Amino acid sequence: MAVQTVLSAINQTLFEQMKKDDSVVVFGEDVGFEGGVFRATKGLQQEFGKDRSFDSPLAESAIIGSAIGMAVNGLKPVVEIQFSGFMFPGYNQIVAHAARYRNRTRGLYNVPMVIRMPYGGGIRALEHHSESLETLFAHIPGLKVVIPSTPYDAKGLLTSAIQDPDPVIFMEPKRIYRAFKQELPDKEFKVPIGKAKTLKKGEDITVVAWGALVRETEKAIKGLEDEGIDVELIDLRTIQPYDKEAIANSVKKTGRLLVVHEAVKSFGPGAEIISMINEKAFLYLEAPPTRLTGPDITVPLPKGEHHFIISPERIRAKIKEVMAF
Amino acid sequence: MNFKFADIGEGIHEGVILEWKYKVGDTIEEGETLVIVETDKVNAEIPSPVTGDIKTLGPDAGEEIHVGETLAIIDDGEGDDEDEAATVKDSDQKDDTSNDESSSESAEEEKGAGVVGSIEVSNDVIASSTEGEEEDEEIVNKRVLATPVARKLAKDLGVDIKTIKGSGKNGRVMKDDIYQAAEKNGPQSDKETSSKGSKRIQVDASLPNFDENRTRREKISKLRQTIADNMTTSKTVIPHTTVMDEVIVEALVQFREENKSLAKERDVHMTYMPFIIKALTKTLEEYPRFNSSFDYDKSEIIYKNYMNIGVAVDTPDGLIVPNIKDADKRGVFGLAKELSTLKEKANNKKIQLEDLRDGTISITNYGVFDSTFGAPVIKYPEVAILGIGRISEKPVAVDGEVVIKHVLPLSLSIDHRVIDGGDAGRFLRTFKSYLKNPMLLLLS
Repeated sequence: MAVQTVLSAINQTLFEQMKKDDSVVVFGEDVGFEGGVFRATKGLQQEFGKDRSFDSPLAESAIIGSAIGMAVNGLKPVVEIQFSGFMFPGYNQIVAHAARYRNRTRGLYNVPMVIRMPYGGGIRALEHHSESLETLFAHIPGLKVVIPSTPYDAKGLLTSAIQDPDPVIFMEPKRIYRAFKQELPDKEFKVPIGKAKTLKKGEDITVVAWGALVRETEKAIKGLEDEGIDVELIDLRTIQPYDKEAIANSVKKTGRLLVVHEAVKSFGPGAEIISMINEKAFLYLEAPPTRLTGPDITVPLPKGEHHFIISPERIRAKIKEVMAF
Repeated sequence: MNFKFADIGEGIHEGVILEWKYKVGDTIEEGETLVIVETDKVNAEIPSPVTGDIKTLGPDAGEEIHVGETLAIIDDGEGDDEDEAATVKDSDQKDDTSNDESSSESAEEEKGAGVVGSIEVSNDVIASSTEGEEEDEEIVNKRVLATPVARKLAKDLGVDIKTIKGSGKNGRVMKDDIYQAAEKNGPQSDKETSSKGSKRIQVDASLPNFDENRTRREKISKLRQTIADNMTTSKTVIPHTTVMDEVIVEALVQFREENKSLAKERDVHMTYMPFIIKALTKTLEEYPRFNSSFDYDKSEIIYKNYMNIGVAVDTPDGLIVPNIKDADKRGVFGLAKELSTLKEKANNKKIQLEDLRDGTISITNYGVFDSTFGAPVIKYPEVAILGIGRISEKPVAVDGEVVIKHVLPLSLSIDHRVIDGGDAGRFLRTFKSYLKNPMLLLLS
């Protein structure tokens, strides 16, 4: 057992999978020599050489496009987009090719690749560095989208993503890269894609969160039981295909739902989850399924970012609001 | 706090201080730009992560600053950070990626400022994952099936929806179920179970085909539907029998006449009904079974230690039966006032659910329509109802002579499962004694 941060768990997983499978290659901007902007790929080039871990040009379309070619031809590329806000030049490659290749070739070819990207706010970053764009991927058939909230899930989900036969978008909440540590098993393990995790059982209200907001929600619900509110907390972990049964079964038990996400409100993941609950658990509802989200604005620059960020206090207040309905 | 220049993105190692926006001794607000740093990628405005007084600043403008070095020490009231400013590992060293980062290793908890922001660094160790250890939870849906509209209705009517047996698909609680439960003031019976006390007997009540040209169909109101349901339940569940009698109320008529002016002074509208209610409460003290409910399934009689006397009110929309709470604790004037209030509320559609709930026995006065006798229907789950006819002058035999007296006709319907004819007769006899001699109402 070793203690890891989210970041070091990702680095360790890349080491393990590259060692285990020669077809795994890792590249992106500053990924090889520097070991990535956050050092997630640190040491890989030294260990596996420049053919398997290398710097790419500053060109997301080229990074993803070339990775698709590699994947179709037998490699397993794990590419890094420096920040999720910079993925748009490569978005066409993701949507038009990576997501469709299996369908286009009627199953003859698949695209086993992973696109890693740090995402999310709360670090007083520059423009284009703080967005939460999971919906843009989750809305595209053919893509899997995962977001870990702990070192354990980072390792388990990345292992599953690398071994998955289809393209997986692996979004890393950078705010918690080094915010805490966790003991992980030494041997390889996987967290299944598509399976949520109930972090706390409860009877009164189901709260669904993912990424950095899982920790904020855990802070928010501390002490709520003393006030007579027993929260069931679900870490979604996979945004698409997401675990509908876990949420629906929980809401059938609690009768209330709050979805917490940093992505902006309109057409966000919360809208999808709430619609699903209306389809599957409408007759069990004690209160309107509710979402607490980022507002429909560009993430502000550092001075105003706190207006955008979802704090434990806001989560707590929203839980009480739903309970009081 | 010790505010460091960190590499939290963009892969830089050092920068050049272009301009300090504040000097030592200044107070800086959180989010204000502290310094502009030039790197090989960008000129970055670095904001202060806290509000506080600047104690020291890093290199002068034009000089280099390396990742991990202190940009500034800011007194934010959270303690003195000067000591730890001396030796700072850079993030490369700190970011242990050799797969054995140990929790015992000392790591600073800090906020580092890079050209793209600041990331929290902490040595907090969270609980290990329980992945794979979860037991499959048996999905037990203890919740009631109902639409939000139905839940709101139940809330508005003060009915606990969890106590209602739904008549809809898969036991879904329908709005009608809630109306019925509200009216009955308690959990609705399961009409489809074999519960002996509440089983609705299935009969073929289908209608013949009426000639549409000679008939007219009219949708009934919700209240009418509720009355229909309740009457059906009452007559289906309760084996009724009715005992009738007459009582000479000469003394009562005289007593009322004598005290009319007294009532007027107190702004009380004095009818016979307050006296009748008072007499009923006195009689119930002697015959508590008439103030009970019957739990057939448990073979138990539920005696009530309170007397909430229901009074049927004929409103334009239909019959409702509000009740006077704790009628036994009120005097005749008090009952008269409460009666006036309830009637006014009923006629102005201001009756609250509270007024309709928890009745223990009812009175229906068809005397106002000049009727004499009736066979009143018991309000389920009560066990008796007293019908009051019109007081009229009639020839009666008194001491061998025919004289004209004021006579009040009474009709007492009882639930024959728990009350027998003999009980009803004795009950009426006692009740009549109070009305024959109203002074007893005051003295007993």
